[in-house]
Amino acid sequence: MTDTAHKLLLVEDNEVNREMLTRRLKRAGYEVVTAGDGAEALERMRDSAPALVLMDINLPIMDGCTAVAEARKEPALQTVPIIALTAHAMEADRAKAIDAGCNDYATKPIDFPDLLSKIAGFLS
Amino acid sequence: MPKRAVLSLRARLLLVSGAILTLFAVNVATHLWGSLARSESLVAYRDAVTAAQLTDELVQSLENQRQQVLVLGTLRETTEEPLGEDEQRAAQETIDNISARLRRLGGLGSDGTADYYRRLHESATQLLEEWRQFYMHYNNREVEINVDSPRSYNDTQQRLNELDQRQAFLAVQRSNAIDDTIAITDRITVVGFVSTIAITIFLVTALIRSTNASLRRLKIGAQRFGSGRLNYRIDETMDAGEIRDLAVAFNEMSAKLHHAIEEVRAAKADADDANAAKSMFLANVSHELRTPLNAIIGYSEMLQDELGDPGEIDREQFDHDLSTIVFSGRQLLALINDILDLSKIETGKMQVAFERFAPAALIFQVCDSLSPLVNQNGNKLELSIADDIPEMRSDSSKLQQIVTNLFSNACKFTQEGTIFVTAWHEEEELFVEVKDTGIGMNEEQQARVFEAFVQAEASTGLEYGGTGLGLSIVREFCQMLGGDIELLSAPGEGSRFIVHLPLDPELDLEDA
Repeated sequence: MTDTAHKLLLVEDNEVNREMLTRRLKRAGYEVVTAGDGAEALERMRDSAPALVLMDINLPIMDGCTAVAEARKEPALQTVPIIALTAHAMEADRAKAIDAGCNDYATKPIDFPDLLSKIAGFLS
Repeated sequence: MPKRAVLSLRARLLLVSGAILTLFAVNVATHLWGSLARSESLVAYRDAVTAAQLTDELVQSLENQRQQVLVLGTLRETTEEPLGEDEQRAAQETIDNISARLRRLGGLGSDGTADYYRRLHESATQLLEEWRQFYMHYNNREVEINVDSPRSYNDTQQRLNELDQRQAFLAVQRSNAIDDTIAITDRITVVGFVSTIAITIFLVTALIRSTNASLRRLKIGAQRFGSGRLNYRIDETMDAGEIRDLAVAFNEMSAKLHHAIEEVRAAKADADDANAAKSMFLANVSHELRTPLNAIIGYSEMLQDELGDPGEIDREQFDHDLSTIVFSGRQLLALINDILDLSKIETGKMQVAFERFAPAALIFQVCDSLSPLVNQNGNKLELSIADDIPEMRSDSSKLQQIVTNLFSNACKFTQEGTIFVTAWHEEEELFVEVKDTGIGMNEEQQARVFEAFVQAEASTGLEYGGTGLGLSIVREFCQMLGGDIELLSAPGEGSRFIVHLPLDPELDLEDA
């Protein structure tokens, strides 16, 4: 755990899963901001300047891949690490997320310790 | 294309063989004619030689006999010595011999020598008769015999000469004619033989060319078919008979192959579509199952973690978290049940059990048992079931599920509003309408809402629960029971689902 907690942006449209992940990430020592859809995610990325983004792919209004692609067009958001979270488990979905600009990929149900180590890897 | 006189391969072969055989026969006939002329010439030559020999012999014999008769005539006058019987017989034999030779000479003659021979015969007969008389009466002195007169002898010799000349002349004439014939037949034979070779070469070449052209058309066709150009057609009109039959058979084979390949392609496309749909279905199922599982596993792990924390457990929070796990578990179960139903429908294994029942009672029962759902979102229920709905013959469990799904949807998407459930019948159909004053849907959402795994919004399932399979199952069931479902809705103005089912599907079928 670092002295100044890293700020993570959690983008998740499912309320139950959003609440669960927020609580677990906070327990792990991170500061968490949340967004419920792709458009909101872009806004939070701009105004909250998260150290890392956990991005669900199936999102209302604007899907995760589009949001990531949009974010990567903005100079300030080009380097922020983004980990895709999705219930789609096919290899093609993983490739789609990586092509859109995500740095890594985690499949639901989330293996939480693995997710934490991925986050730590990007933030170290 | 100009109309061509075409022949079958069989006709071509017969024609060519016939022509060659005819030419061969003509050649053989000409040759035989020539041989005949040659043998005729041989016979004529032999006859001429024999006739000349005979004539020479006759001339000699007549001369000898005349000498003998003259000598004997002188002896008879000068001596008394009689002629011996042996000598008489020998002389008679000689004369008979001469007579026989004359006849033989006559036998060698022809129409052209008949007159000459007749004249020779007359004078020779007279001469020989004179000589016979001479010998016969030689010993009889009383009979006067005058053999000195040379008249009949000279006549005979002269006529013999004439006949000989005539025969020689005719023989020359005949041999000239025969020589001409031989020359002609020889020429015909040579010309015929050479032209037979030429015509045979020409005919065989023509046969090979025409057959080759036919076979090449077939070969090109077969190659095109082989390279996949199955809409290519061999020109059948260029041939007749077997080759035409073969071309027709090739074309038919190609057409059938083309058809079969199209069918296989279509079947493959269908299979690919079905496979893609199955993969999509599996991907969707996987996705749908993972979302509630994520919550269940995540919350359980989190609770395990929190149990390890020092201090008191926040019981209220703990209870809430457990409820979330239970809710997600139930959702997972509902999802699995719906997926099984949908899978049964898609594989055609969903059974329909027709029975007689009262739909009014069933609808009332469903609404009654689901009343807790109505209260959950602070809604009111307006139930209106007509009194005169008759019994129907249908699948009661499917109707129950239809009403349950529609009713629970209405409760889910309506807050502080009213759910209207109305049932009535018109003619031979039962109508059930489920109307709410909830969030409603736009046209695009309405168009997709009956598709499997689709909710009006992707987030809908989590906010309102549900699997996104309910309406898809409802529509499938309505159609299985011989009816259908209609949707009238607008955003913010609630939704109206109207189900209509035949009271007796069999009657309905008979009408149709």
